[in-house]
Amino acid sequence: MRKILAIAGSNVRRMLREKSNIFFVFIFPLALILLIGAQFGGDFDPGVGVWVAEDGVIAASILEELEADDSIELTRFESEDELTSAVERGNVQAGVFLPAGMDDAARSGVVIDVGFITRPDGFGPQLQSVVGSAVSRVMTLFYDAQVTTEKTESSFDDALDVALQQAESAPGLTVTTSALGEALFPATLGRFDLGASSQLVLFVFLTALAGSAALILSRQLGVSRRMLSTPTSTNVIVGGEGAGRWAVAMVQGLYIIVVTFILFRVNWGDPLGAALILVTFSAVGAGAGVLMGAIFKNDQQASGIGVVLSLGLAALGGCMFPIELFSPTMQQVAHLTPHAWALDGFAELVRRDGTVLDILPELGVLTAYAAVLLLIASWRLRVVLTRD
Amino acid sequence: MGAAARIASKDLKLRIRDRSAFIIGIFAPLALAFIFNVVFGGAFSADLELEYGLVDLDGGDVAQAFDEILTEIESDGLFTLSRFDSPAEAEAAIEADEIAAFFLLEEGLSDAVIEGENADLSVVGDIDAQTSTQIAASIAEQFGAGVSSTQLAVITAFALIDGPPPEESAAWGQEAAARGASYSLVDVSAETRQLDGTTYFAAGMAVFFLFFTVQFGVVGLLEEERDGTLARLLAAPISRTSIVGGKALLSFALGVISMTVLVVATQLLMGADWGPPAGVFLLIVTGVLSAVAIMGLVASVARTPDGAGNLGAIIAVTLGLLGGVFFPVGQGDDFLSKLSYLTPHAWFMRGLGDLSGGAEWTAAIPAAAAIMVFALVFGVTAWVLLKRRLNR
Repeated sequence: MRKILAIAGSNVRRMLREKSNIFFVFIFPLALILLIGAQFGGDFDPGVGVWVAEDGVIAASILEELEADDSIELTRFESEDELTSAVERGNVQAGVFLPAGMDDAARSGVVIDVGFITRPDGFGPQLQSVVGSAVSRVMTLFYDAQVTTEKTESSFDDALDVALQQAESAPGLTVTTSALGEALFPATLGRFDLGASSQLVLFVFLTALAGSAALILSRQLGVSRRMLSTPTSTNVIVGGEGAGRWAVAMVQGLYIIVVTFILFRVNWGDPLGAALILVTFSAVGAGAGVLMGAIFKNDQQASGIGVVLSLGLAALGGCMFPIELFSPTMQQVAHLTPHAWALDGFAELVRRDGTVLDILPELGVLTAYAAVLLLIASWRLRVVLTRD
Repeated sequence: MGAAARIASKDLKLRIRDRSAFIIGIFAPLALAFIFNVVFGGAFSADLELEYGLVDLDGGDVAQAFDEILTEIESDGLFTLSRFDSPAEAEAAIEADEIAAFFLLEEGLSDAVIEGENADLSVVGDIDAQTSTQIAASIAEQFGAGVSSTQLAVITAFALIDGPPPEESAAWGQEAAARGASYSLVDVSAETRQLDGTTYFAAGMAVFFLFFTVQFGVVGLLEEERDGTLARLLAAPISRTSIVGGKALLSFALGVISMTVLVVATQLLMGADWGPPAGVFLLIVTGVLSAVAIMGLVASVARTPDGAGNLGAIIAVTLGLLGGVFFPVGQGDDFLSKLSYLTPHAWFMRGLGDLSGGAEWTAAIPAAAAIMVFALVFGVTAWVLLKRRLNR
């Protein structure tokens, strides 16, 4: 046991001594959580750009209506060209051009052309109906005022004032919206909550696999062989190497949990449950890391494959895109990765206020993964160490 | 120049024999682009297909009018509409993911509207289909605005003339509502200057790993320094320019080879659409030059090959992430998107976007010029520093 700890300890020290590891283990994950939070911030509303040629009552009212619409994210643009180009590049999904002289046109009954551009793919037609309904709500008031003016021989502005006032209290056909079902992303979920657990899972595994390079180096330099020449069994070496990777993964995971909790108020749910997921998932990562270290001879190759494996499994396992939005087949494929099980566990804790009992299946699967990987790693390492 | 080419070709043979350049330069980006495409492919390219339901418990004139409007929009292909007899049936359809939301017209709706009372049109949506639900709500509100307008015109007239509204005031309301057509949304469909999902991932991964691939060249200089072969090279009748040039040439060759293979492979295997070859080639050449320049600078300031590898990895990952190779960064004109353009990656992706949608190859020139600025600024600095390093 003391030997396992000694091997593990030297592994952790080796990792922490390398300055670039500090960046990838401690700085980069947080930067990514911050960037993703800023980019996708909780909701995925399509962006609509608007350009106003001339300020006026109608333009202001339309802007107000559009801003009040929760289904879109409104951005104001300073020029027509900027807006067109933003739509073409997909920075916003649609553009609305409010022409000059709308107030005069409405007063004199001239048809107003509100420009609308969208990309041929995506949300275009649907956004058109959203924008159209906002414009029609505003124009309705104006036409009411207009008709009233003609019929009652009062001034247009008076009629508009009255219409605006009455509109606030008038009866009418109101639309109420309600939601059905259990929310996939409840409103209480903070903007960083989802991203944080996905990034935790991604990085803990990435770091664990990157650790395989150190083991390959130990083998190349003959350190492992010399250890084997002492009265130390391969199981102890594998245990030590595994424990080292596991400790690094745990340190990184705990760091992400604590710092995101303090800085971004990320909710991790039941602390014991979260800790157990981290413990088992780190063990999976450690097993995979030692296995990689036992299989590859060249550390550059191992780190290339490691990046592919850890990013690829993370993508498949739902760390980059919510697994609930996968197709049914892809959801099954996803659950071949330990990542999906870990994420399911975190989701159970956070979204449904689960406890340790609720995540027992996930913990079981992760433990099984870890056990199988460590067994294979132990066998491979014994083979390569006694062979070279 | 001959010496530079010989150094480059010797190193190229070494790198081909050692498979790591192949893994980083071709296998990794190809595998990841493939996985990302499978996982996100559906999400990226999916046109939103809206399916709504209608439950009409009212059956009156107003409900009839609403039904007609929905049918009309349906025939424009905006959504598909299914009719249900009861809210329970429609709710079951939501649970079964058959519809995203349904409109509910309660009994007595038409009577309430005609008598000038408050009436309510409900939209019930799947909690996980919020955008679809809000679009349904917008459609309902548009209809509601027309109905309210009729009522409002009556009240406005009433308030203005301080007396009971003339009999015909209800007709005014309808007239006003009819004028709702005197504005129009002029649809000017924009061109697409954005990559489709498959090409986005292919290009993103290619340019991301490019910055790792070119390291095999310039960092080789530090390896020669560590292994002591550099001193021998310097002692030979070879100019320092040839030595640095040879390493840079290898970086450039590895970059161009891997990018070209990736373009062809993703086009054939995944159906990526990179655009006109001349424009793509221009972006690849400038992109590789900028990568060589930046990694050359990294090599010139690092002390050991490992140090250069680590610093290079940090810079490549940071620039790639910020440049939007994994997911688009920034929206519209905000701070993040401005920050993003401080990376050659963002310009590379933008250049490819400009090429898409049937543009001429010349559409890539502005982005290529921007990438060349990075290549020149960092390249010249790296060149000076690396040669000074050899002189020590």
